[in-house]
Amino acid sequence: MPTIQCSFTDLKDLYGKKCSLDELRQWLPAAKAELEHYDEKTDTLTIKLGDTNQPYLWSVEGITRFLRHYQGNERGIPRIKMMKTKNIISVDPKLHSIRPVIAAFIAKGKPFTNYLLKQFIQMQEKIADGFGRRRQKVAIGMYPSSKISFPLRYYAADPEKTSFVPLDGTKENLRRILAYHPKGKEYAWILQDAKQYPLLEDARRQIISFPPITNAEDTGRINIGDSSIFFEATGTDHAAVNLVTTIFAYAFAERGFSLQQVSVKYHDKTENTPLLKEEAVAITPEQVAAYLGIQLKKSEIKTLLERAQYDVLEKVKIPPYRGDILHPVDVIEDIGIMYGYDKIEPLPLTTSTVGAALPKIREIEKCRELLLGLGYQEVLSPVLSNKELLCDKMNTPDTGIVEIENFMSQTYSAVRTWILPVLLEMLSKNKHVDYPQRVFEQGIVTRRVGDMCNDEEHLAVVYCNTIADYTEMKQVMDYLFSMLGARCSITSAEHPALIPGRVGDILVNRRKVGFLGELSPHVLEKLDITMPAVCMELNLSVLFSLAKNS
Amino acid sequence: MEDKELRESLHPLERKVLLVLHDHDSVEDTAARAGMQPVEVMRAFQWLQNKDVLSIHEELREEISLGTNGEAYKHQGLPERRLLNALTSQPLPVSELLEKAKLTMEEVHAILGILRQRNALALSKKEELLLMLTPTGEKTRATKLPEEKILGREFPFDIRELTAEEKSVVETLKRRKDIVKVDLVKRKRAVLTALGKRLIADKNVRQLETVDRVTKDMLLSKSWKDTIFRRYDVSIDVPKIYGGKKHHYRRFLDDVRIKFLSLGFTEMEGPIVETDFYNMDALFMPQFHSARDIHDAYYVKEPKYFPLDQKLVTKVKDAHEMGGGTGSKGWQYAFDVQRTHRTLLRTQGTAVSAHMLASPDIKIPGKYFGITRVFRADVIDATHNVDFYQTEGIVVEEKLTLRHLIGLLKLFAQEFSNTSEIRIVPGYFPFTEPSCELYAKHPDLGWVELGGAGIFRPELVKPLLGREISVLAWGLGIDRLGMFKLGIKDIRALFSHDLHFLRTVGLG
Repeated sequence: MPTIQCSFTDLKDLYGKKCSLDELRQWLPAAKAELEHYDEKTDTLTIKLGDTNQPYLWSVEGITRFLRHYQGNERGIPRIKMMKTKNIISVDPKLHSIRPVIAAFIAKGKPFTNYLLKQFIQMQEKIADGFGRRRQKVAIGMYPSSKISFPLRYYAADPEKTSFVPLDGTKENLRRILAYHPKGKEYAWILQDAKQYPLLEDARRQIISFPPITNAEDTGRINIGDSSIFFEATGTDHAAVNLVTTIFAYAFAERGFSLQQVSVKYHDKTENTPLLKEEAVAITPEQVAAYLGIQLKKSEIKTLLERAQYDVLEKVKIPPYRGDILHPVDVIEDIGIMYGYDKIEPLPLTTSTVGAALPKIREIEKCRELLLGLGYQEVLSPVLSNKELLCDKMNTPDTGIVEIENFMSQTYSAVRTWILPVLLEMLSKNKHVDYPQRVFEQGIVTRRVGDMCNDEEHLAVVYCNTIADYTEMKQVMDYLFSMLGARCSITSAEHPALIPGRVGDILVNRRKVGFLGELSPHVLEKLDITMPAVCMELNLSVLFSLAKNS
Repeated sequence: MEDKELRESLHPLERKVLLVLHDHDSVEDTAARAGMQPVEVMRAFQWLQNKDVLSIHEELREEISLGTNGEAYKHQGLPERRLLNALTSQPLPVSELLEKAKLTMEEVHAILGILRQRNALALSKKEELLLMLTPTGEKTRATKLPEEKILGREFPFDIRELTAEEKSVVETLKRRKDIVKVDLVKRKRAVLTALGKRLIADKNVRQLETVDRVTKDMLLSKSWKDTIFRRYDVSIDVPKIYGGKKHHYRRFLDDVRIKFLSLGFTEMEGPIVETDFYNMDALFMPQFHSARDIHDAYYVKEPKYFPLDQKLVTKVKDAHEMGGGTGSKGWQYAFDVQRTHRTLLRTQGTAVSAHMLASPDIKIPGKYFGITRVFRADVIDATHNVDFYQTEGIVVEEKLTLRHLIGLLKLFAQEFSNTSEIRIVPGYFPFTEPSCELYAKHPDLGWVELGGAGIFRPELVKPLLGREISVLAWGLGIDRLGMFKLGIKDIRALFSHDLHFLRTVGLG
């Protein structure tokens, strides 16, 4: 979730009326936002935005626009004036499979202060990083427009033959900028499949930007005092690029800039950007009642919607900086928010239903209860583990471990295939704790079987003491199976983690449901356990299915 | 305690000690006298001290004990005695004397000086050294030597028992090889209290026979009728034992399950290894959208893709691309069908609700819940785990509204947080609209975020269930609730591997 910082004074100025910190704290939840912190010394507000789908709110300009409407200071869709110009960007059709969309405008107004510059850079970073999916979907560039001559050309360039000086860099070809420039290295992944790279150059054939990587050193840096800004957004998603451009145009307008549109010439169409298209959706009182459970008159709905920055005519018109309205329900939620969730009377569910646990729970509870009765301490471990523990330390081959591709720590890099290693690793950390140590864990494990993965409920039991022999665990097993009413037989078996000749496979209806035996000193040594141990592990899923069938 | 009760509470070891004890006796003295091991006496002393019979005083003293030669001389006699006995008034050669007195040359050399000093013998030399007894020597032979007096004592003993004269004898003995040694020793002594003195004088202590345990024989022979059972110190510290105890967090989750069952919910489950499809796509989370970045998933190495029901995939694809006939315009992008098969570890319990909605077994109206293990690629700290539990569920019924949802959340707050004071604020989840967050006023902790909820979007419900119907969906932050309940501050303690902690942590 994005977090932004701004000055409280600035927020109050943009809001245009008195507003206390407490009021702000009360109002922000309606924007799905939260006042995280206010630093009195620097007059800095920290606001967390909860809606990742409404990027217009990720700026102090957007938040104050919301608040002005929410508090009834303004109504309906605010509109901005765009001056028509002959400024053109022509788009190379070869960009179609690389980065086809661009939108732009020019904003002229008062000179940038340090604070304003910081606000726009913050907005640029938050939106390109979050909504723009780390610049892949949308990247943003801003330039002092005095240094740029129209018309511009947005085209696909040869990575080797094209060179320019990137921000904070030296003249290099595009390939080398991707390889060596800090921003190149950070965003090279976006262009990894492209044979040609997107480039923006002006009428004098000077390269002004290499989207989505970096601007040019000469033209691509806004300084304090600049008062005329060229804005462009490029990307892969037409709607998203135009939405972001619209959001910025509105933000500049809030700051008193006058705006000039830019025409984008594709091979098949020309668009005057920002598009500022207002879509419409039909909302009926019946629909509102169906979702919110409250009966509102048309006029009430109209008032509420105007407070949420919609216009209400025959249909409901959506402000152009809202890209998140897909279905009437999205508008209905805004009606609910403006009405106030705290004013909505709760209703109880009245239909009678009968509750039921998963069928396996009853059987699992029996196992746990029996082991608890035998004095065993129950353990609950992470399901994530690692191959080294599950295989190497247990001297046991991989029986279908599901490994994580993008793990963050080796310790949690695979899903456990059995529980015993996890319990033993635990005991190795508790050598200073009173013996005997009786522990068990019941829980889920996962195993690859062919192209699928199977979840299984397992039960692992360990007894660790100065004397821990087969008899100890065989008694536990006998008791458990007798109480579960499952007839089993034991056959002599081999297990690489257990002492040969002291391993039993547990069979029910001739099918293996688990094993028991004494831990091999070899394994104990690898796990750093200095006390004998005897263990059992059962596949409860198989056991329960067999018991059910028999 | 009455003297009688006290007598009856005496352990056999205590009684054994009391029978021989004098004031200021040391553990060793008492052990020797009672024929007990010093550790047994020490235990008895401690118990008696607890009963205020005596107090144990610790002292440091210089103690004289015998060396190896000293032990031997105590039985065979000192070399000087043996030489005196062998000497005659006629000079005899040393070799003959050595044999007669069974002495070594070394021993003779050590004592020649002493005996000459006392004028007890005379030396002469021919081919070899000759020794003879003097008249003084005869008198000496008739008396007990001061060294012999020392050696005749009981060892070890306190140096303070000796006179100044005797001390100087000890000094000379100390200079000789391995006869006596003086060590600084810690001794524990029993100093009797007034009660102790009275008890020792009490003949009943000697006569009283108490019995420690009831035995089967006693019951069969009825001898218990004449038996006094020893009184125990009932406040005594005993060795700790640990029972078979449910895991504290698992126990909490068991309670949560029972709670949901009592509210008429049916439990559901789903696989740990999920597909992008059920984990996100089926929940109408667009594949290339910031909504996807709410949390990071762990992707699985192999198998990379799972097979899926292609009809269902097509329906979800339509919903993403064009709204799937719900009146929605959809996300308007090209849905990546291959990507939807990609395997990952389940990141949210809502995936289980997606399975339920797509299942032919779903009952309408129906209420479902899941207690689900979920996994997030995150850095582990006191508030973040990569592997934790979520509780979520759905209510599927015609004509449910936000009012029912708020009613349900109010019920949850009542049941899980024991409060009717709740706050519902707008929230954002990609799969619900309207969406909200539930805060409850916890009696101790103030406003606490309990979870999130909403009404499933039609673009989610229609492809999975085949038609549009109201589905209330909610998730509760069960780990956080459990931590409150169990008084745990660090989320990692929910899955602790500290056995002592597991054995001793409270049940909440």
